Amino acid sequence: MKATEQLTDSMFYIMAALTKPRHGYGIMSLIEETTKGAITIGPASMYTIIKKLLNQKWIYLYDGTDSRRKTYYLTEKGKKVLEEEVKVRKLMVELAENGLKEVEK
Amino acid sequence: MSQTKFIMSSGLAFSEEKDMDRLRRQSLKGWHVDGFQFMGYSLKKGESKDYIYSLDYRTLASAEENEYFEFFSSAGWSHVASDGDMHLFRAEPGTKPIYSDQETKVEKYTRANKWVIGLTIPLVLITALLWVGMVFTEDTLKTILFVAAAIFTIFAVPITWTAFASTGYVMKARGRKGVGSLLKWLPIIVVVGVVITLFIIDPSIVNNRILLSALIGGISGVVIVWVLGSIFNKIRG
Repeated sequence: MKATEQLTDSMFYIMAALTKPRHGYGIMSLIEETTKGAITIGPASMYTIIKKLLNQKWIYLYDGTDSRRKTYYLTEKGKKVLEEEVKVRKLMVELAENGLKEVEK
Repeated sequence: MSQTKFIMSSGLAFSEEKDMDRLRRQSLKGWHVDGFQFMGYSLKKGESKDYIYSLDYRTLASAEENEYFEFFSSAGWSHVASDGDMHLFRAEPGTKPIYSDQETKVEKYTRANKWVIGLTIPLVLITALLWVGMVFTEDTLKTILFVAAAIFTIFAVPITWTAFASTGYVMKARGRKGVGSLLKWLPIIVVVGVVITLFIIDPSIVNNRILLSALIGGISGVVIVWVLGSIFNKIRG
């Protein structure tokens, strides 16, 4: 499978939060806090994406003892996918930053 | 006055948002939905309150339910009722929507659509085979096949229409609103077109009383249920 399959923004945010084992609510509130409320993930979107990431084997069930608050964690494959995605996103952020600097001049 | 009542759904594949808005208006009047009923919702009298409603489609194994509902409740959405793969939630106004991005929203309607299409295709195929069979048979077998075909048609027509409307929702979620609305009304246009074409090709079709009554029966059945339902909702609403 291609490692370059497009990640949606929401998938990227959730994978970024799963660099440590976290449960659904933990992920939602971490994303909201980090972005100071600019980005929220709705519960139905969240559930859909968790299922999808499990299917792709980019995350795995880390601790399922509490059926209400199962925790998930990136797999090795997931970490690689996230690293690649960070590189690409960084390039685009640089493009925007440099472009904006030139506008200021 | 009774403490429970029933309101009819406009058909979720056709007007999910409209249904959710109506449930909100009912809640403002103190009637809170507490369950799904055949073709509608049951409501219970309570205090007037402003609630917003959202619906999700999802097949859940029983081991998954706890976590799924926990996601919603921690985001401020309390679970009202479920019926098979449909799950209804309510929240205070201002609560963030249950779907926060377009990709997962498209997937929601794609899931629902797959289910409807899976039901429609075999039904339409059987119906078509029965009609074809009728054309190529004689006497008693022809009559039997004809009756079966007519009965299947009565079910196949509304379900096909639902499949079109449901596909329309997927298109709309993908941001193609025009195509979505077109798909919703296309079946009516097609049916009217086919009837007119048939009439032009063979005007004697009007003389075929059984075919005609099947057609009228099928169409008026849908219309009567619809009209009665609307009147019923107006009076009780």
